Amino acid sequence: MGVIASRLLQSLAVLLTMSFIVYGLMGLMPGDPIDLMIAADPNLSSADAARLKALYGLDKPWTERWGRWLARLLQGELGYSRLYARPVAEAMAPALLNTAILMATSLGLALAVALPLGILAAGRPGSMLDRTVNLLAFASVSVPVFWLGLMLIVVFAVTLGWLPAGGMAAVTGDQGGRLAHMVLPVSALALAGIGQYARHMRAAMLAEAGHDYIRTARAKGCSPSRVLVRHQLRNALLPIVTIVALEVGGLFSGALITETVFAWPGMGRLIYEAVMGNDFNLALSGLLLATAMTLAGSALADLAYWRLDPRIRRQ
Amino acid sequence: MRAGVLILLLLALAALLGPLLLPEPDAMDLAARFAPPSPDHPLGTDELGRDLAARLLQGGRISLAVALATALLATIIGTAIGLVAGYHGGLADAALMRLTDGVMALPLLPLLIVLAAADPAKLGVPADIQGSESFAVARLAAIIACVGWTTVARLVRAATLSVRGRDFVRAAVAMGASPSRIMLRHILPNVASPIVVAATLSVGHIILIESALSFLGLGIRPPLASWGNMLTGAMDAVWSAPQLAVWPGAAIFLTVLGFNLLGDGLQRSLNPRSAST
Amino acid sequence: MRRLLAATMLTTLLGFPAMAKDELVIGITQFPATFHPSIESMLAKTYVLAFAQRPITAYDSSWQLVCMLCETLPTIENGLAKVETRPDGGTGIAVTYTLKADARWGDGKPVTSDDVVFSWEVGRHPQSGVASAELFRRITAIDVRDERSFTLHIDRVTFNYNAINDLRLLPAHIERPRFQPAPAEYRNRNAFDQDTTNPGLYNGPYRIAQVVQGSHVALEPNVHWAGPKPAFRRIVVRTVENTAALEANLLSGGIDMIAGELGLPLDQAMAFEKRNGARYAVVTKPSLTYEHLDLNMDSPVLADVRLRRALLLALDRVSLTRQLFGGRQPVADSMVPPADWVHATDTYRYSFDPARAAALLEEAGWKPGPGGIRVNIKGERLSLELVTTAGNRTRELVAQVLQSQWRKAGIELRIRTEPPRVLFGETVTRRKFPHMAMFAWYSAPESVPRSTLHSDSVPNAANNWSGQNYTGYSDPRMDKLLGAIEVELDRNRRKALWRELQDHYAADLPALPLYFRADAFVMPKALKGLEPTGHQDPSPYWVERWRWE
Repeated sequence: MGVIASRLLQSLAVLLTMSFIVYGLMGLMPGDPIDLMIAADPNLSSADAARLKALYGLDKPWTERWGRWLARLLQGELGYSRLYARPVAEAMAPALLNTAILMATSLGLALAVALPLGILAAGRPGSMLDRTVNLLAFASVSVPVFWLGLMLIVVFAVTLGWLPAGGMAAVTGDQGGRLAHMVLPVSALALAGIGQYARHMRAAMLAEAGHDYIRTARAKGCSPSRVLVRHQLRNALLPIVTIVALEVGGLFSGALITETVFAWPGMGRLIYEAVMGNDFNLALSGLLLATAMTLAGSALADLAYWRLDPRIRRQ
Repeated sequence: MRAGVLILLLLALAALLGPLLLPEPDAMDLAARFAPPSPDHPLGTDELGRDLAARLLQGGRISLAVALATALLATIIGTAIGLVAGYHGGLADAALMRLTDGVMALPLLPLLIVLAAADPAKLGVPADIQGSESFAVARLAAIIACVGWTTVARLVRAATLSVRGRDFVRAAVAMGASPSRIMLRHILPNVASPIVVAATLSVGHIILIESALSFLGLGIRPPLASWGNMLTGAMDAVWSAPQLAVWPGAAIFLTVLGFNLLGDGLQRSLNPRSAST
Repeated sequence: MRRLLAATMLTTLLGFPAMAKDELVIGITQFPATFHPSIESMLAKTYVLAFAQRPITAYDSSWQLVCMLCETLPTIENGLAKVETRPDGGTGIAVTYTLKADARWGDGKPVTSDDVVFSWEVGRHPQSGVASAELFRRITAIDVRDERSFTLHIDRVTFNYNAINDLRLLPAHIERPRFQPAPAEYRNRNAFDQDTTNPGLYNGPYRIAQVVQGSHVALEPNVHWAGPKPAFRRIVVRTVENTAALEANLLSGGIDMIAGELGLPLDQAMAFEKRNGARYAVVTKPSLTYEHLDLNMDSPVLADVRLRRALLLALDRVSLTRQLFGGRQPVADSMVPPADWVHATDTYRYSFDPARAAALLEEAGWKPGPGGIRVNIKGERLSLELVTTAGNRTRELVAQVLQSQWRKAGIELRIRTEPPRVLFGETVTRRKFPHMAMFAWYSAPESVPRSTLHSDSVPNAANNWSGQNYTGYSDPRMDKLLGAIEVELDRNRRKALWRELQDHYAADLPALPLYFRADAFVMPKALKGLEPTGHQDPSPYWVERWRWE
């Protein structure tokens, strides 16, 4: 119980500090959307600017605004998004859903390909397949995802014309169109993940293979496939679960680049726009959510470890 | 590792020979925009009729400068924090490690966006320096290093903990050496190899981050070329000149791959036991 | 999966939007964040609302002021506008409008004078959050004559007294109950944002029928619209945030056309035309968006008019617009675009003349120096800094072309880019740019550049950084001209004054004119009737003329 409490407390401290720093950095940035409106449109007078700034509280020091924001947050209010003129939660929901769809699909796809690859590679260390997996792993951590996305666009959208180059589903609402729009961004994200996961899986399988209990199981006459599935695989999945859980938060914010390339209206874009547009409420909520996801991911990883590994549970 | 060294050597060779063989990277020819490869322009020209290969090398110089400066800065910060935490232990250790955990929990890219959008004029940097190439590099290096030191800090702390109890450290303590002297003279040399590995591996990672930031328009900004911002331009022209998108990305990919292979190789040879499988 | 791929390929191969002719899908690059007509100022919103909301007056595609919801444009000649003495003794004007009898909100309620009064109340309320309140402040009182007629009392007499394009109508029967109890909360509680699909909010040929955030807005005909019936059963405005993807969607049939107001950059549209000119028409129209370099007059170097002239003479703007924009963005001589009726054709023009530029530079004391950069007698190098917006690809390219052209004249240009919010929030607005700032102004046709050229409009700490005369240009003759134009009601005399202003601008060069931007509309050849306007009133104000052929 004590561990959980201290962990929660620690997470809260991180979130609080984070909000303070972000607020400060955004507050220190010169200019706000009202300055921008003025600059582009000579019809707006400086009197308009002063009035609008006072209205949105932009004329107050940022520490004061942060204090107010925090006080409101403690009452459970995320506030209004200034850019979207609606409650923050309402503005965030569709973007959150879009990102979740993208992330879940690509993660699922990456794992579906990577895990069997890793297992096969571990089965024959040093083989052609093994070396390919290794190379793939290096390639996938070295490739800039946005470039991968651009290349997919060049090949499949520009040259071959098979798939749409970006944007969300066609408006007419047919499911085929929706899926077609997902193929390229999901592939880009999945491709970048496959190599890594395969490599981790291979390493975990090899590590397990060296353990005594595997040898014991074999000696007892268990069939090789039974040994593989019941013993080796089950234990090897443990580190994979941990890695995936740790990555969830990162995936979330890492989607920004992919969303930009494919014009996917997701969370990353929303946070980006909010920061650039000085929409404090929206930017903070988005960033804090992303941070909370990372924190939750690492907590989840620990929990998974504890649940899946009987040795730890017993302690 | 050999492959990694080979890739990096080839890149270095290209960077050295390129200026001798290729046209000026800034020489523009508006009549020859988006030209296909030719003997004069081995990779063709960009949207202002400049030699793409020359631009690529110039951009690479900046991307690499950012990456190396950041890696250096992040390694120094991380090493200092790791040494202090590992050597002193107790409250200092707890506080520094909580800080490290906290920074690691932050969503990297969105945070970097906030940092990169901040205005250098607010920090009192004179305007004429702001426009210079070295300032652009330093600014980006400082920003990325702010959040990039955590891996090194953890590694160094762990290594310091294991070294702290050894005889030669105890002997130095008994002889009355000051803590900073012990850390720098006795512990640091013994934890150097994991630092070198971590720094090498981080270079690749930083190149990726830099290119992503520049791609979003927040890192290196035109007219300075970097691989990331060359891709931004290429994205708009992807229909009329798809070849523009190929090369900068391929350059990033190869360089990062080179550093990763090198780092992995170093890890294996310096510390065979902990080599990743 | 295979079936899906095949289906996508098929539509691509057929190459033509595979949809009924009564639906039109338009692509734009920005999603309208809000829908209230006068809160916030955002191009995407203006564009979408233009299908569903009609202003009382607007400028048409030939840049003439026309009535949209009113019956007759009031003028002094037809007696509907009368110069009057204000209660405080000054001179003002009373302008009378009559709304069209068949103007209806989408719920069948007529558009009335009460809506006008309510919109004005919202507009002038300090806490309502309305963006541009200038017009609302100028209107000191409104007399309601009857259901459809009303008289505005305006506190000054200017030649454009009858242009009330900024007075955007709000349906009082829906919005008043939301506004009156808590005006400060109105910007978050208004029906446009909370109940966007309420038909009663719209008085145009279409109403907003569906909003999918980040994706699209669907419009359907307003059954109570009494004007000519629009041709489309449904119009969808779809947002695709990057232009490469926008183009891809057009080719794959996901969208039918790309709006010029918020679409492809000109060079991209031209490249598109080269490849797909057979199927799509790319229509460009030079707009009044004025791309220029503001020069900081406080800089001792730029204070010398000979240098300013030399800078412009050393630029080959004709080949710049020809090579980067296919010549479709006309070279500017001043802030007055060629399509404006007050544009003077016989003012002094700067053409590319390196010899004269060199002579002027010599005269100003800048001699060739080491490295090809000129130096003055004190040994200072002729090195100037240009700041512009980061992320605007076209400007970044143009800046680099300027750099290379000036280098040939021995002038070094250092380019610095800043995010728009920094540039317009501080650097330019507080006049912190050392030499030059490149950006654009957009305005209405025949708009008097008082805020950018009058000496009263120079921002400084004392006036709380108000005004947009960022160059710090202060010239009594210019001040006099600006004042004279504003109050000159006679068109001929006004045109003569405008000519004088353009001449004076060209002689003094407080800013270096570059070119006027052109919007590129990419449309299937079968779509007819769409006329780009080239100014801030977008083309959908005339959507009922659009049709397939």
